[in-house]
Amino acid sequence: MNDLVAIAPELIVTITAGAVIVVDAVLSRRNAARWLPLIVTVGLVVALFAPMLWSPYGNVQPLGVRGSGAFFSGYVNVDTFTNFFRTVFILLALFATLVAPTYLTRKQVPPGEYYATLLFSTVGAMTVALATDLITVFLGLELMTIPVYVLAGIQRKDRFSNEAALKYFLLGAFSSALLVYGFAWLFGVTGSTRYSEITTSLKASGLANGPTIIALALITVGLGFKAAVVPFHQWTPDAYDGAPTPATAFMSVAPKAAAFAAILRVLVGGMGPLAVEWSSVFAVLAAITMTAGNVVALVQTNTKRMLAYSSIAHTGYILAAVAAAAAGTSAGAAVLFYVFAYGLMNLGAFACLLYIDLEGTRGATLDELNGFAKREPFGALAFAVFLISLTGIPPTVGFVAKFLVIQPVLDAGFAWLAVILALNAVLAAFYYLRVVVRMYMYDAERGAPALIPSRLLSVSLGVSALAVVLLGIIPNSLYQWALDAARPILNNP
Amino acid sequence: MTIDHVLTLLLVIPLVGLVPLYVFRGDPRAAKQVAIVTTLVELVLSLVMLAQFKVGEADFQLVEKADWLPSLGIRYFVGVDGISVLLVPMTTLLTFISVLYSSGGAIKERIASFMAAFLLLEVGMVGVFVSLDLFLFYVMFELMLVPMYLIIGIWGGTRRIYSTLKFVIFTLAGSLVMLVGIVAVWLESGPEGSRTLSLPELLAIRNHFPTDFQFWVFLAFGLAFAIKLPMFPFHTWLPDAHVEAPTAGSIILAGVLLKAGGYGFLRFALPLFPIGTQIWLPVIIVLSVIAILYGAAVSTVQKDLKKLVAYSSVAHMGFVTLGIFVLNVQGGVGAVLQMLNHGFVTGALFLFVGIQYEKTHRRVIADLGGLANHWPLYTTFFGLFVLASLGLPGLNGFVGEFLVLLGTFQFSGVPLGGLFWGPLAAIGVILAAVYLLWMFGRVMYGPARDHYKALPDLSPIEVICAVPLLVLTVLLGVVPQPAIAIIQPSLDRVLKLALDPTWQVAVK
Repeated sequence: MNDLVAIAPELIVTITAGAVIVVDAVLSRRNAARWLPLIVTVGLVVALFAPMLWSPYGNVQPLGVRGSGAFFSGYVNVDTFTNFFRTVFILLALFATLVAPTYLTRKQVPPGEYYATLLFSTVGAMTVALATDLITVFLGLELMTIPVYVLAGIQRKDRFSNEAALKYFLLGAFSSALLVYGFAWLFGVTGSTRYSEITTSLKASGLANGPTIIALALITVGLGFKAAVVPFHQWTPDAYDGAPTPATAFMSVAPKAAAFAAILRVLVGGMGPLAVEWSSVFAVLAAITMTAGNVVALVQTNTKRMLAYSSIAHTGYILAAVAAAAAGTSAGAAVLFYVFAYGLMNLGAFACLLYIDLEGTRGATLDELNGFAKREPFGALAFAVFLISLTGIPPTVGFVAKFLVIQPVLDAGFAWLAVILALNAVLAAFYYLRVVVRMYMYDAERGAPALIPSRLLSVSLGVSALAVVLLGIIPNSLYQWALDAARPILNNP
Repeated sequence: MTIDHVLTLLLVIPLVGLVPLYVFRGDPRAAKQVAIVTTLVELVLSLVMLAQFKVGEADFQLVEKADWLPSLGIRYFVGVDGISVLLVPMTTLLTFISVLYSSGGAIKERIASFMAAFLLLEVGMVGVFVSLDLFLFYVMFELMLVPMYLIIGIWGGTRRIYSTLKFVIFTLAGSLVMLVGIVAVWLESGPEGSRTLSLPELLAIRNHFPTDFQFWVFLAFGLAFAIKLPMFPFHTWLPDAHVEAPTAGSIILAGVLLKAGGYGFLRFALPLFPIGTQIWLPVIIVLSVIAILYGAAVSTVQKDLKKLVAYSSVAHMGFVTLGIFVLNVQGGVGAVLQMLNHGFVTGALFLFVGIQYEKTHRRVIADLGGLANHWPLYTTFFGLFVLASLGLPGLNGFVGEFLVLLGTFQFSGVPLGGLFWGPLAAIGVILAAVYLLWMFGRVMYGPARDHYKALPDLSPIEVICAVPLLVLTVLLGVVPQPAIAIIQPSLDRVLKLALDPTWQVAVK
């Protein structure tokens, strides 16, 4: 019973997903479109507060469970780290639900399938955060990505959507194969799939031997694919561009956050003794990733594609903090804080494209954003806030996140990486602000496609834009929470 | 009258003004009134702040502290000393004048948004001058960026988008490198758990900063300030931004934003990194002299009136860096006075170029001429500001430049010595007379042109904008002593910190 209490949030989300399927089958399409978002919202909100209502340790606290313990005979672990990521994933799913309804109706996407796959993917991501065993983490990663392949292709009659789904599926399957192969090597070397036992075994056997390095390389590549680290990023632009926009918004943040949860748990936590030597590899990957993402984003004229490449650049920033694991808890806290901030602002930025009605799934070109500020002042303001936050200009959460990332990077001795990061932010400013220029400093073109204002979309964007600014001004509690959450993974030496 | 928390109030009032501005966003008249009242209250409050300041003390006053990000040792920490206390009223005065002038019809579209951008900008500008925590300073430094970006980009001239992006990218490149420097300072400030970014605490431990650390971090800070200032060769964004900005934007850009660079050097770079200062000092002095000569030379050949004033700013700001880095009292006091003077005089010059452009729609010098015949009032004001800008004794420009040159002559810590660089910089003063008087002659005198006859002289609002600037120009020129008395104690302290890397300040 205690096992079930421990995974109450995951269970609630799963039950909600099941309920969505049943209700969708019972109701007509029109009624389903109206009631399903409500059911999903209620389910997610309950799941969000579940750790505060029921704790497997008996100590219920505002931010959920504080203790740490193994469940399901050690396959699952619930600690502050788990709770942080649970909250992130639930919030992202909630956001992706609230911005979607108008779009789904307009594009005739079956709402039941959209919400159900979204929820299943969320459960998968949450499972990654729970995992303390290679098998559980693999299960979680697959449960997360397979529904996302479906989400990418959910607009069956759109060929870009089809292309996106197929590309994503093939490359995703490939990366999963690499990952599981790496896990197999690791099992071969250490004789266990449990993180804690892997750590002990690696400590005893030493690190610099062929099989361990192979295992490490394969796992890095496999997780690198999921997080879209250059050079394993090729699927990202097409998949993000082709998928329906609300799905893009979700898949640009949740799988990435889950991949980083896995990287932290497996590579930094589980293979802890290795992490220090492996960190230069991460540092180089981080530098390449952020630079490549930004440089390619510079020349994009399609906003959705530009945001896709920019999300690669943000992977690079987060990876820089992972590389700085030697700096201790502050590095882990920086990763978590950045993941939270990135989720909020990137999902918001993609969701702002939902105002623009276009044929097919592809995003708006820069020209279509001309004069957006006059046509939809509120949406433009929210978009501008997200973009300024993505650039890293205060007073937004994106700035604090950048500050927090630079700090462990310098502390770990990667001064060159910190400078590259800063210069990259300048590159990014160029293309992010170009969108603001289009919205505020150009007049709308004649015959520009009509906008699709939706109250629910505006409200959710408004709330999250406000959160971006407020967390930029008073970031302390979020940072404190991220610090607490990072402690199980990275303790100060 | 004493008001508690006066600095915090100064930061809050413009934000409070945003609320009625949002409420009346559909009504241009009300929006203008809200903005005028808000900036006026802010101006009065900054004068109250100045009155509460105790002259003769070197340390920070009116200090307020609160935890902000306690887990990182970051604080909300504000205070003023002799160097910053005059820059704050300068900022609020120029903002008030900009808002007042813009209400007179210079801005026609999206007035409420324009005023909102100005109020946000004011928070950033005042914040830069009162921040005593590096994190807070950085936030304020960047907060100035976005509103100015919008002001140039939305209400600017024909090439506004190119100019505003160039302005932002240049500034951001500098400040992000500074951010890395700030984090480096934070990491160097102590073991984990006791790190800080508060200036007084950093000053107490700065003698632990190793030499190569100071070398790099000074470079990181210096780059941001050099771009903002702007120092040669980082000045290329300035002419573009100035020419395309609306008049009010130019006034604030030249009057206040550039000062953030010079102020940053004095407040943070010099006292925190004395060894770095010594290493980089020759480079900066040479670049300052180049800026003075280059700015003046380029101004001489400008065809566009606004560009001429913009390039003259490069030269004038060269005096500021020169004065700061000769590391003596004359130079330092001269530099701070030069910042104030440049704020009032160049702000006024941009105001008058703007007024003239509003009436004639011409900015090319060759198209103008004979305006003195129709505009006696305008000519008098403009002439006085031109004379102040070229450094005529009796007006304020003279005092600052004279002190800076005096300081340079006495300085010997640079290759070839101050007696080489001082006279070289003095040539800049002569060149300033050349280009300014030549411009004034071509624009105001010469044959009267018929199509300018019907244009009216200064309106009452424009006179109200110009009078306080003129009064200060004359006052600071004739009796600079009270201002020097305010500046000097704090400046002495900064210089002592910069000259003696081992001197320790006690933390209160």
